[in-house]
Amino acid sequence: MSTEDAHDDHGHHLPAVEDWPRGFGEASWWPFITALGAGGIYLGAALFIVASGQDSTISPALAPAALVGSVAVFLVGLYGWLYHAFVSAFWSREASETSGKALRWGMIAFLGSEVATFGGGFAYYFFIRTGAWPPQSLPHLLGSLVVVNTLLLIASSVTLHWAHVALRNGNRRNFLIGLVATLVLGVIFIGGQVLEYYEFIVHSQFTVTSGIFGSAFYGLTGLHGLHVSLGAVLLGIVFVRSLAGQYSAERHVSVTTVSMYWHFVDAVWIFLVVVLYAGAQLGA
Amino acid sequence: MQITGQLALTVLMGIFLVGVAAWLARVENWRSYTPLASGGGGAHGTGHAEKPSGVIRWLTTVDHKDIGILYGFFGIISFVVGGLMVLGMRIELFDPGATLISESFYNSLLTNHGITMLFLFGTPIIAAFSNYFVPLLIDADDMAFPRINAIAFWLLPPGALLIWAGFLPLGDIVPAQTAWTLYTPLAAGVGNGNQANAGVDLLILGLHLTGVSATMGAINFIATIITERAEEVTWANLDIFSWTILTQSGLILFAFPLLGSALVMLLLDRNLGTTFFAVEGGGPMLWQHLFWFFGHPEVYILVLPPMGLVSYILPRFSGRRLFGFKFVVYSTLAIGVLSFGVWAHHMFTTGMDPRLRASFMAVSLAIAIPSAVKTFNWITTMWNGKLELTTPMLFCIGFVANFIVGGVTGVFNASIPVDLILHDTYYVVGHFHYVIMGAIAFALFAGMYYWFPIYTGRMYQRRLGKWHFWLTMIGTNLTFFSMLILGYAGMPRRYATYLPQFSTLHQLTSVGALILAAGTIIWAYNFATSWIEGPKVQDGDPWNLEETGMHTAEWEWFDRKIETAVTDGGEEESVVADGGGERDDA
Repeated sequence: MSTEDAHDDHGHHLPAVEDWPRGFGEASWWPFITALGAGGIYLGAALFIVASGQDSTISPALAPAALVGSVAVFLVGLYGWLYHAFVSAFWSREASETSGKALRWGMIAFLGSEVATFGGGFAYYFFIRTGAWPPQSLPHLLGSLVVVNTLLLIASSVTLHWAHVALRNGNRRNFLIGLVATLVLGVIFIGGQVLEYYEFIVHSQFTVTSGIFGSAFYGLTGLHGLHVSLGAVLLGIVFVRSLAGQYSAERHVSVTTVSMYWHFVDAVWIFLVVVLYAGAQLGA
Repeated sequence: MQITGQLALTVLMGIFLVGVAAWLARVENWRSYTPLASGGGGAHGTGHAEKPSGVIRWLTTVDHKDIGILYGFFGIISFVVGGLMVLGMRIELFDPGATLISESFYNSLLTNHGITMLFLFGTPIIAAFSNYFVPLLIDADDMAFPRINAIAFWLLPPGALLIWAGFLPLGDIVPAQTAWTLYTPLAAGVGNGNQANAGVDLLILGLHLTGVSATMGAINFIATIITERAEEVTWANLDIFSWTILTQSGLILFAFPLLGSALVMLLLDRNLGTTFFAVEGGGPMLWQHLFWFFGHPEVYILVLPPMGLVSYILPRFSGRRLFGFKFVVYSTLAIGVLSFGVWAHHMFTTGMDPRLRASFMAVSLAIAIPSAVKTFNWITTMWNGKLELTTPMLFCIGFVANFIVGGVTGVFNASIPVDLILHDTYYVVGHFHYVIMGAIAFALFAGMYYWFPIYTGRMYQRRLGKWHFWLTMIGTNLTFFSMLILGYAGMPRRYATYLPQFSTLHQLTSVGALILAAGTIIWAYNFATSWIEGPKVQDGDPWNLEETGMHTAEWEWFDRKIETAVTDGGEEESVVADGGGERDDA
């Protein structure tokens, strides 16, 4: 059969040629270190809860220390991982059709899992929304702030797409301009969200514990805000890499995957504004 | 004072971390792990030439085969832990009163037995097979994301630590007693019990972490099977095991993240005073809906890959190809889709809307059809076949037999009137253990025996394998059939004590559990000793699959590995693989 010939032709590609420890093809410290950090973050959260117990003997300083240390280890792991797997040999690395396709499919699958992640929060909101409405005096949800914020986020999706098209046409300058614009719009959006939280918490006395709508509002906008923040970090990484001269019309997989993520988060926001901001006012 | 203390600790932590980093860097300089093989040049990816040696190899590996073995060890350790927990319960249940352990400790064992077996044994041990074999079967270099593969594994040990933390002597933490379903308001810490204790929070955090791990693995398998197949491996000739792994990964993708969200919401309810599952908010029903929207697909997450294993292994010892291959694939996909539409059959007695209830009953009954399609395909594969009753084959046949009992009892449970009577009795426990122990664990044992030569390069002891099978088969049926009868007799589940009239059946159940334990000890002894000193497998076809034309990709790979080892100067001097002649013309 031809299977055997194909075997000998393509040989065995090793996954971690440039990595730490050096000199091996199938060894990398980064996943272990990153997992250590991630596990430590959960342990830190656990310590936090244990220490807040009534007669706990654990020092209250332990949990924050463990959290800070774990986050540091986690970030170091991620940095080394990204550096060795994607950044260090960017131009010399073999950029096969398959690896790009795998990364795009990986992002699609991840976004599929995100649908389920958001689904849990929305399920709660729909559950309470079917009951008597409004369940409490709602804060002023549909103000100018949320409209402006929504427009900013939509605009950021447009600028990101524009930047990506520019990159594929070989226009590096426009790519960078579009990327910066997206990043700035994203950061302004996060600022707008912080401002809204401030307004609600300080001026409207509407907090996460203010009744059943408070849980839905802060749960969903908080989850979304975390996602936008992660998106901003990802855009920042793409931006730094492009400043360092990476990406070209042919090599732009991470620009593709990051923009998939950003558009997804944008779409979730539009859905969220319609059902949570506008939907809560309906019939209220 | 307080703040200076915190600062000092933070600084100390930082110094400690820098120290660790420096130590690690020095470890690298020691070069204790020079590459093993001398001539790594043309190696066929035998998997040993490109790694450090010693412990560092296992900590740093991104090789799918090594990670598969790590998953295997983790799964087996969890199996032992979960098994010891249930032995404690069964011994306690030997007499009606609470004599050996307290009721609350019984509840803790009950909770953690379920969670350990499902999250720390079931999902990881399946990953042990899929990691090792899917890339070999589809002729990929490795998984699509080898490093994500590694981190998905390394998130499991801290997750397990958190889940089991309640049992460790850590101050005033008590283990969770919520049962694995974590129903609110009990799991929200409401009421006079001790479930506001941090032990439940730790369990929730650990579960979330293992969920993240499972989701990462699923994303990896989806990307791998879709994009990394060799040209010759098309969708039409993709093997059945990879099909089930692909379907399973699709289920994980939507089930586990939803559980993750629900767990975080529960954690916030417990610690921040949100109202997600409080009575005035979403209420206990929302938790049950969200939990079972995850929980029922989880059943298929656990059962589909074992079904794939049986579909893959059973034909090899029947001398025939799998009967109706296409329909086995279609039924796998059908189960995958339907599995998201049956969750409320766990909630028939909650007083939910009867119209909703009827539709869930219909879909639950419908899922029996693809399951039966598979069962009949396995039976017709064996029909008139040339059966070889090796240990893996015995476990496959045991799987089919037990799955029929587990499946048919499930059909009864799915119909509302019967469920209203049998709900929360031992009947339910018997039903799902017939599937989980009788079917899933059997298929996993079949896989372990079938591929033992590939994992270890050696052969297990056949006689002990047979002993293991028969003890497990008898133990399973004794234990869980007694439970079915207990359920008919009206014994409610989850109780540490019972009325004297149930004594005989409970004792039979406990005897069955002890027989299972005996079988498991034999299995552990067999695998441990065979791994160390079993006879070395000399060629890549220990099951004589070539006679029937069923030699598959992973055995061809194994054959090449043996040959490479010999040409590299391995200790074998005997003639290599006589069956390999027609293949090694390269």
